[in-house]
Amino acid sequence: MLTKSAAKKFFIIGTVVCSGCFVLLTVDTISRVPKQTNADKITPQVIHGKDLWDHNNCMGCHTIMGEGAYYAPELTKVYERRGEVFIKSMLKDPASMYPGQRKMQQYNFTDEEINSLVAFLKWVGEVDLNGFPAKPDMGPAAAKAATMTLSQIPTPTRPVVYDQVCVACHALQGQGGVVGPALDGVGTRRAHDYLVSWLRDPLAVKADSKMPKLPLTDEQIQELASFLSSQK
Amino acid sequence: MKFKTQKIAYYFFAVCMLLLSLQIVYGFIMGFAHMGYDNLHSIIPFHTARATHTNLLVMWLLAGFMGAAYYIIPEETDRELIYPQLAIVQLVALVVVGVTAIIGFHFNWWEGRKFLEIPRPLDYLVVVDVLLFIFLIGGTIWKGKRYSTTSIVLFFGLLTAALLYLPGMIPTTNQTMDSYWRWWVVHLWVEGVWELIMGAILSFLLIKLTGVDREIIEKWLYVIVGFTFLSGILGTGHHYYFIGTPRYWLMIGGFFSALEPLAFLGMAMYAIAMAKKGGRQHPNRLALTWTIGCAVMSFVGAGFLGFAHTLPQVNIYTHGTLVTAMHGHLAFWGAYAMLIFAMIAYAMPQLTGRKLFDNGWSVFAFWTSNIGMVAMTLAFAVAGVAQVYLERRMGLDFLQVQKEIEVHFLGLVLAASLFSLGIFAFIWIFIKYGLPKGKIENVSAAN
Repeated sequence: MLTKSAAKKFFIIGTVVCSGCFVLLTVDTISRVPKQTNADKITPQVIHGKDLWDHNNCMGCHTIMGEGAYYAPELTKVYERRGEVFIKSMLKDPASMYPGQRKMQQYNFTDEEINSLVAFLKWVGEVDLNGFPAKPDMGPAAAKAATMTLSQIPTPTRPVVYDQVCVACHALQGQGGVVGPALDGVGTRRAHDYLVSWLRDPLAVKADSKMPKLPLTDEQIQELASFLSSQK
Repeated sequence: MKFKTQKIAYYFFAVCMLLLSLQIVYGFIMGFAHMGYDNLHSIIPFHTARATHTNLLVMWLLAGFMGAAYYIIPEETDRELIYPQLAIVQLVALVVVGVTAIIGFHFNWWEGRKFLEIPRPLDYLVVVDVLLFIFLIGGTIWKGKRYSTTSIVLFFGLLTAALLYLPGMIPTTNQTMDSYWRWWVVHLWVEGVWELIMGAILSFLLIKLTGVDREIIEKWLYVIVGFTFLSGILGTGHHYYFIGTPRYWLMIGGFFSALEPLAFLGMAMYAIAMAKKGGRQHPNRLALTWTIGCAVMSFVGAGFLGFAHTLPQVNIYTHGTLVTAMHGHLAFWGAYAMLIFAMIAYAMPQLTGRKLFDNGWSVFAFWTSNIGMVAMTLAFAVAGVAQVYLERRMGLDFLQVQKEIEVHFLGLVLAASLFSLGIFAFIWIFIKYGLPKGKIENVSAAN
């Protein structure tokens, strides 16, 4: 039968061995993390971004690297998914991007601060996270990805900015957000020039529009207007 | 109660009850926000409610551990606490720091690191406060008439908990390392040294309530805390899968954290076995109910539900979803909240000299709070699993999925109402007990 002193020995030896292994693994991890996280790309701007991220408790709603609260979107790959235009507009005026939806605080960030946060999010997106977040493997998203790679049929080329920004609120062929109207057939309803002026400043065309003025370049506006005109 | 300084525990327990009530209020604010009723957004936005909710939890659990220690240590060492006035200073300081932090959260003053939101200047005050506590407990053991295993395990649990607060302050500009050190605190607390504290408090309660020989109980205490550390220390790896740390953590974390339920299963079996073995029928059956309940629910919440998403193949989809909230709620309730409730249920009749344990309200409080918490866990589980499939596996947009699962938060709020009813019954009984005016049974030993 197990004695008390044997039990004590088991506890002490087990704990010491495991703690020792843990400390050694930590030393090894510390030496490998800089390469895996591209530590050379942690510029003062990225550090400033992380500082803002921490001091406004962004993790209190969002998750990053899968850590935080579960009230607002996961932001690890947001730079790739939404792009700078979307992120900057969101940070400038959160209420304008998703009118009537779940709210984000207005922080009144300066342009410099917004650029730092973008730099931080860009850096986070490039860290090797051992496969996280996993790509969706079921349903329409997975099916779409499969047809793309299997049959090599080029899908009609959509501007990158459409896939990053517009899709957050608008749907096309049933894919996308439901905040704004669907864009199927928009090319028959609206002329190219109308779309250009609309994209430049929606509120100038229609004063009570809920769509925000987005910081798009002329090139992006032309690209989008041509694409939307082709939706007949 | 054998020593008059044990009465200090009462004030710590009272603080627990107060902070827990506030924690519940902030929980409701978040539940309603998830349902779409975020009317308080301009005053108490979600991240404020969230930081307040979790920090109040940590604070009242720490206050509970401290109260338990102030009750247990004089009895185990067979002497009065040293410098009892300082224990009151220590409590007041803890409350002042805590309340300052909570108010700060409402004015955007925090660190924004999950569970460790308390701003840096206050971190130092927490350390000073905890050192004072450790000094009082350690000094009492040092001067005590006997060294019991229970008091030594409790002391080392408290000491290592204090030391492990320090890695959280290591400065770094790399988000990955920031997260790495943060888990040294959070994981090694709740799945490591806090379990030492839990094991010691359970042992004390089982010794008192079952009458089983101390040597047997303390022997199994070593075995269980041995298993806890064997699995829990390297089990920290389950937080290092996807934060930019080397890939070997997937294997190490997966393997060792899969063993973690065994430690909790051991704890549950041990508590049940000792209760069955005990010949003595202690009149305070309610305290024994909470003790056994704690051991069983910690296995379900921390062990079983933790295992449910700890393997990397599963965690790659569940990481950062409401599945974590499901596990978190039942784990903290079962392992730590119920432990402190067990301690309070045991200590109150001794502290106040009134025996209110066998009335209907006490039984009502136990069952209502537990059924409510299990129902809350189910609501989180349904919402979490739906989120995993819709968002992570089918690729729907985050906000679209949140709209789909709003209804489960109605379930959550209803379950939480039931839970709160049980908690308020418990607090009501606590108030009815009155102030600690119980008489000292062992006057000669008091000097």
